[in-house]
Amino acid sequence: MRKLFEFIRSVYVAVLFVMLEAAAIHFYAHSTAYTQARLLTRSSRLAGDAHSLIGGVGRYFSLASENRRLVERVAALEERLAAYSEAEKAQLLDSYLEGEQDAKYRMTTASVVAGSVNRTQNLLTLNRGFRDGVTVGMGVLSATGAMVGYVVDCSERYAVAMPVLNTQFRSSGRLAGTDYFGSISWDGRDAGRVQLTDISKYAEPAAGQEVVTTGFSQYFPEDVLIGWVESAELNETNTAYTVSVRLAAEVSRLRDVVLVGNRDREEVGDLQEQVRQNGGVIAPDRNGNNN
Amino acid sequence: MYRTYPYAILFVTTALLQVFLFDNLSLSLYFDPLVYLSFIVLLPLDIAPVVLLGAGLATGVGMDMAMGTAGINTSATLLAAFVRPAVVNFCYGAENAREGGTPSPERMGRRAFVRYLAIVILVHHALFFTLEALSLARTLHNLARILLSGAGTFAASWLLMRLFTAKLPVRI
Repeated sequence: MRKLFEFIRSVYVAVLFVMLEAAAIHFYAHSTAYTQARLLTRSSRLAGDAHSLIGGVGRYFSLASENRRLVERVAALEERLAAYSEAEKAQLLDSYLEGEQDAKYRMTTASVVAGSVNRTQNLLTLNRGFRDGVTVGMGVLSATGAMVGYVVDCSERYAVAMPVLNTQFRSSGRLAGTDYFGSISWDGRDAGRVQLTDISKYAEPAAGQEVVTTGFSQYFPEDVLIGWVESAELNETNTAYTVSVRLAAEVSRLRDVVLVGNRDREEVGDLQEQVRQNGGVIAPDRNGNNN
Repeated sequence: MYRTYPYAILFVTTALLQVFLFDNLSLSLYFDPLVYLSFIVLLPLDIAPVVLLGAGLATGVGMDMAMGTAGINTSATLLAAFVRPAVVNFCYGAENAREGGTPSPERMGRRAFVRYLAIVILVHHALFFTLEALSLARTLHNLARILLSGAGTFAASWLLMRLFTAKLPVRI
């Protein structure tokens, strides 16, 4: 018995280490971007204010360029607005009557208070939360209107977004001006480039061509700029292109972002879930129509 | 425990440096120094292994919460804390280690300290970046991240060690 105790005494640190290590790796292996976002959201509650303070000092130095870009953006939007208000005045009036609640997308702004781009699973912490109407699943666009990512978790005052620079990020992208689309993902190698895969071999992507969102994903409105085609190569089986896309949004220098919420997202999601639960078969309605 | 307050301050300092400075630096994908490891490195030479493991656990869990990394920091820091006594014995000798004191070039000799620091950092970073990438496909890419970030951590740990072991003249 004494020998047993002595044996345990000589190895208990190793045993403890193995147990703790196993627990940590188990936790990591079963974690997703959502677990990680949840952890960050929790710690934001503690550290968020300090992050905001430090971020605020940093922001001061980029105010001039930020302002210039915003003014340019305002001018561009102003121009578009003028065109709309001329041509569609009547429709505009109608939509006023329907009220804001009926617009498909609602926008709000936020600032990035903390974030990294030097990991393979980067996340951004934003200074808006439930209290400001931010919800999980909102799209995140840069101040110039380029795609950045989407919100994956939210607390009272902070939100955590998964930017495109996260190897778990998935969205769809389309070559502007064509109907060819593929999926957008990041290989974790270069903070300025993402991959657009499974583009049909007939697409013939040209360098400099714009890549925009499709609007299938429910996170982003259609035709939001993602980036520009840099190079493309056919995959091994010569069936599809893998396109390297230069990102329009500079994630490492993001300060202010625009959040886009899709009011229909939950409804569409519920509908898709219903279909999935029915085993992919849509039950015929009373008239026997399968639509 | 011996020098509890200085170590508490060191713990807080390294954690704050990591969370508010190095995590926000975002210099490059290949340069991600994990400065909080200095705390584990600078703990007394004669610390009980189980206390060391506890310190590793606390640091790792804290950093995982702050970075949102779900267990990578914990597993890497636990491993570093677990192998530290063996590395100290290997570089400095078990007899000498028993005398205690903060690891530093003055106490251990420059060569022994550099080897000790480099091995602990390499072990920690190797596990951290391998777990983070979760693939052996881009070994070279990973190796570059381990070595470059390790060099950053090494330099930062050296600086912190200098500050921590500096004998400041006390004037009251």
